[in-house]
Amino acid sequence: MAPAIETVEIEGHIIDSLILAKVMDLVLAAGADYEVQSVHIGRTNRDISRARIQISAPSDEILGPLLSQLQAHGANRVVQGDAELVAADTDGVLPAGFYATTNLPTWVRVSGRWVGVVNPEMDCGIVVRPGREQPVRTVPMHRVRAGDLVVVGSDGVRVEAPERPRGAGPFEFMTSEVSSEKPKAVVVAEVADRVRREKTAGKVLAVCGPAVIHTGAGPDLARLVRAGWIDILFAGNGFAAHDIEANVMGTSLGVSMGGGTPSDGGHANHLRVINEVRRYGSIAAAVEAGYVDGGVMYECVRRGVPFVLAGSPRDDGPLPDVYRDVVEAADAMRYLVSGVTVALMLASTLHAIATGNLLPAGVQTFCVDINQAVVTKLADRGSHQALGIVTDVGLFVSQLAEQLGGTPG
Amino acid sequence: MSELPWGRRLLMCRPEHFTVLYEINPWMHTEVRPDPDRAMAQFDGLMAQLLAAGAQIELMEPVEQLPDLVFTANAGVVNGRQFVPARFRHPERQGETAHDAAWFTAHGFAVEWLPDDVVHEGAGDALPFGAPGAPGEPLVLVSAYRFRSDARSHPALSMLTGAPVRSVELTDERLYHLDLTFCPLDDRRAMVAPLGLDAYGRKVIDALVPELLVLEEDEALAFCANSVVVGRNVIMPSCPPRLGRILESWGFAVAVAPVDEFLMAGGACRCLTLALDVDLRG
Repeated sequence: MAPAIETVEIEGHIIDSLILAKVMDLVLAAGADYEVQSVHIGRTNRDISRARIQISAPSDEILGPLLSQLQAHGANRVVQGDAELVAADTDGVLPAGFYATTNLPTWVRVSGRWVGVVNPEMDCGIVVRPGREQPVRTVPMHRVRAGDLVVVGSDGVRVEAPERPRGAGPFEFMTSEVSSEKPKAVVVAEVADRVRREKTAGKVLAVCGPAVIHTGAGPDLARLVRAGWIDILFAGNGFAAHDIEANVMGTSLGVSMGGGTPSDGGHANHLRVINEVRRYGSIAAAVEAGYVDGGVMYECVRRGVPFVLAGSPRDDGPLPDVYRDVVEAADAMRYLVSGVTVALMLASTLHAIATGNLLPAGVQTFCVDINQAVVTKLADRGSHQALGIVTDVGLFVSQLAEQLGGTPG
Repeated sequence: MSELPWGRRLLMCRPEHFTVLYEINPWMHTEVRPDPDRAMAQFDGLMAQLLAAGAQIELMEPVEQLPDLVFTANAGVVNGRQFVPARFRHPERQGETAHDAAWFTAHGFAVEWLPDDVVHEGAGDALPFGAPGAPGEPLVLVSAYRFRSDARSHPALSMLTGAPVRSVELTDERLYHLDLTFCPLDDRRAMVAPLGLDAYGRKVIDALVPELLVLEEDEALAFCANSVVVGRNVIMPSCPPRLGRILESWGFAVAVAPVDEFLMAGGACRCLTLALDVDLRG
């Protein structure tokens, strides 16, 4: 059931008369919640005070009677207009003054009702399609089509502030913070716990940088994929290339995974691997042919875990599965993130930020990197929900795989 | 302890056309009509008690088909030379307003109106309380809402009069006006019937009034709070011995003016009077 939200205003000697307290009590007693948006308290006891309160109820059935009840105490609905809609006149171009989205839960007032945005995503426009099943959606700039009705200005748009986690779990210290000084075992156990809990409701996304392979975490990550803990994988050409290199040649960027020594001519190992996979036409075909017989990409193919490999200009090859058009890559990622409830950003900077941009604020995001700056960068770009764990990704993944153990459920 | 700074000049209206023509409160039953002669005699008795207590009385002209015009307390709110007419909830009483406004205009008051989308029934739902403190310090206007006045009328009333309003919610329909639940006695004391107030209203009154005389349920339902205070005199519709003893120990002289014919319409002593000497600016 969709939550129902309305704003009321109340004025008078509402503090001394305990009317404000009464209104708040009534809201809670009805099973709804309030957020005081503004209070103006009179300077003297003669002056009247004013308060604006946003009320959110689990459903219209609760909100309606509550609003009538509150009216008796002088709290009146703030008459709020619908959002202004302007039709886009050019494909891929939003109307001037378009409402730029955040990744927070967002509501748009359409025909006198607040309608929730189905797919919150930051830095998009909002398109309203009256009469459709999902009438209000975020749409990235390049996907808008001429004639789409786009929300302009901020009237009739409401954003729900992120809720601060309550309680004193080991994560409290990490809310939107980076921490390099906490016992890692506790943190890993907590991440494992969240993954286990969220797994019942949604999907787990892993975003991987090549360091996952360089640090030797490939087999552990492969184990997590094989056991069914990872539902979606995003990475770049490097991660996939080194994963395959490690499994086919036993090296990562030419360095032996076992001995840690550079192998002769090893600097070309990844090129040879990429070249061979290109010969097969796709990673899946290379797996099918037996050329790739282990590793993260192998497990993804075997288990049917969807992956997006997004390309960049510095890529060697690239592997045939790599998206060469960044906009197409982002769209492919966008398509897959629906339903994700936990995101593990593993030693990845560019792909982590790209993914952070696509995720609604409600997705639990763990950013694991040896470099504190990566986590900060992600938060600075608006992914405030990201919890940073500064540690070696190889150790982290191996501990996580150990904690999670066998198959989910 | 100072006496009430108001209540020595009262507006009343003889019950020449008083009867029960309609039912707009739980006390009214059109099949039980008051006796006109007894009503008149009780009215005269009340007037005599008020005069004896030292009150001055102004009379307004009764009007046919407006039986409740006798309850002048509901005419409006007086504030110095300002008069804010009531906005009656029930159409049955809305005809009174023109007569009330005309009387106050004729007597030199500036008539100022509440917005027409609120209801507020005058001094029946708004009673001043407090000590005139520093010069210019206003009295607090305790005003009720729920049955006859709505909460939205309170800020409007405050803006018109300049008085801070303490809003209290009434909860018992038998005590449908504030003046059946709350009765200021002097600058520190008041009678209050908790029966008529919700928990918040009780707290508000408790915080406002230093010494409370708390009415029992039967005392409240006998309209003991609907008394008229003239200086140190309290004229009550009835007075159980308990209340009499307390009031006398507080230095009040209690007089009983039986008005049971008017109880049939849901009103008693206070309802039959409107103080003309209220000045909320203190």
